[in-house]
Amino acid sequence: MNNTFAQIDHLASAGDSPWHRSSALTKLLLVLTYVTLAVVTPSWGVLVALLVTLVAMCVSARAPLRLMFAAAATPFLFALIFAAAHVSTDWDEPLVLFARPMVASLAAVWLVITTPYPDLFAPLSRVLPRGIGDGLFLTYRAVFALYARVERMGSTLRLRGAMARPMRDRFALLGEAVGTVVLSGFDRSQRLYQTMQLRGHSGRICGCRHYLEFSRDDFWVCLAIAWAGVVSVTLWHVRAR
Amino acid sequence: MSHLHIPDGILPPALWIAGLVLTALGLAWSGPAAARGGPRLIAYQSALGGIMLAVMALPVPITAFDYCMTLAGPVGVLLGAAPMFQVSFVVTLILALLGQGGFTVVGLNTLVLGLGAMLARPVYLKSVRGLGPARAVALATATSQLVSTLGWVLVLLLSVRLTPDLAGEHEIARGLVRGIHGVGAAIVLAMLLAAVAIESLLGYGLARFLARVRPDLLPSPSATRGAAPGGPSLHEAHPSGRT
Repeated sequence: MNNTFAQIDHLASAGDSPWHRSSALTKLLLVLTYVTLAVVTPSWGVLVALLVTLVAMCVSARAPLRLMFAAAATPFLFALIFAAAHVSTDWDEPLVLFARPMVASLAAVWLVITTPYPDLFAPLSRVLPRGIGDGLFLTYRAVFALYARVERMGSTLRLRGAMARPMRDRFALLGEAVGTVVLSGFDRSQRLYQTMQLRGHSGRICGCRHYLEFSRDDFWVCLAIAWAGVVSVTLWHVRAR
Repeated sequence: MSHLHIPDGILPPALWIAGLVLTALGLAWSGPAAARGGPRLIAYQSALGGIMLAVMALPVPITAFDYCMTLAGPVGVLLGAAPMFQVSFVVTLILALLGQGGFTVVGLNTLVLGLGAMLARPVYLKSVRGLGPARAVALATATSQLVSTLGWVLVLLLSVRLTPDLAGEHEIARGLVRGIHGVGAAIVLAMLLAAVAIESLLGYGLARFLARVRPDLLPSPSATRGAAPGGPSLHEAHPSGRT
């Protein structure tokens, strides 16, 4: 997953599509619109149209296919449980159950690969309690440093044969290894705290205000929102019954 | 198994709206409690949240499957209830942004992950005198996982109850659905029990290590009475600032 973190972070920061240049606020609005429509619509037609639109948006944002596939496939197991309960209903019910989470997941992927995390978290941190807003920034930053440690630890355990030991030993050893990461995390938190004090932490990490910088490229995002509205009105009644 | 996050658009709105409301209440409750810990607690929470996210990426081979850890139980012991609830929310929100679990169900996913983890420290404090730190963390982790699992099953049951027209009217189809659910439940139950055992063993190893090298990071029953939610370990460790 962390490779995914790094990949997403790189795509969001280094990408140069119109989606990347548009403001984070309009992109958040787009995701809100798409997820709301996906959750409330009973029409498979609307969902298919939204899905196709999001695939096109992800491709035009140069999202790797593997990432898109992973996002679309992740909710499958959970959806399968509910789809199984709908086998005797209309044929479009299971389709709707699979398509809804796919639309939401692809919308999320499109958002994170086109928006650097400070721009993404800044508007969210303004509506969340102070500690949570700060936690979002600091946790995301911490993942990168700690993952490198976790990855090295995993390689060491594999190379030294810890993963080939009996199940009970394997997990207890793994727990001890994770303990070293927890210690590292504690040390890191102390350094971070001292840095925050040195920099004059006022009780709130304020994200930059780039998320409010609108550009000409916001037109495309607004167009995508309008398109979702049009397909919803047009295809709302496309159902099996 | 609490790592299997619920996606968008499957559960009935009444359920996920209730989840969002309950989570908002939980955050409102935990905010002032966690704020008393100050920036140092926020830094510690974030480091442990980062570890949870990083460790979730590390697959552990079990026969044909890979298991992804959550560490929710041990982190719950180290942090305490209020900060743990906040960490659960942050981790769930970041995962939702990565397409793992939905936006509308951030509330339910937080509750499933967080409520179990919030019980970890009280269970640990009750049992540490009799069992010692390693076993107490294992017990706290098992309790945390079981509560999370029960929460997850409860969400499933409630969603089935609240979804109209489920299973249709045809007898054969209904039997088919029942069969699929029976097999599914057997598989899921076995996986859930395996998850509880694995996380408990991990918690055991982690606590054994911490008790050996940094026992001050583990909360102690006497010092915790009246202490801030970060626990005595966080506030009393290294008064000189040495790390």
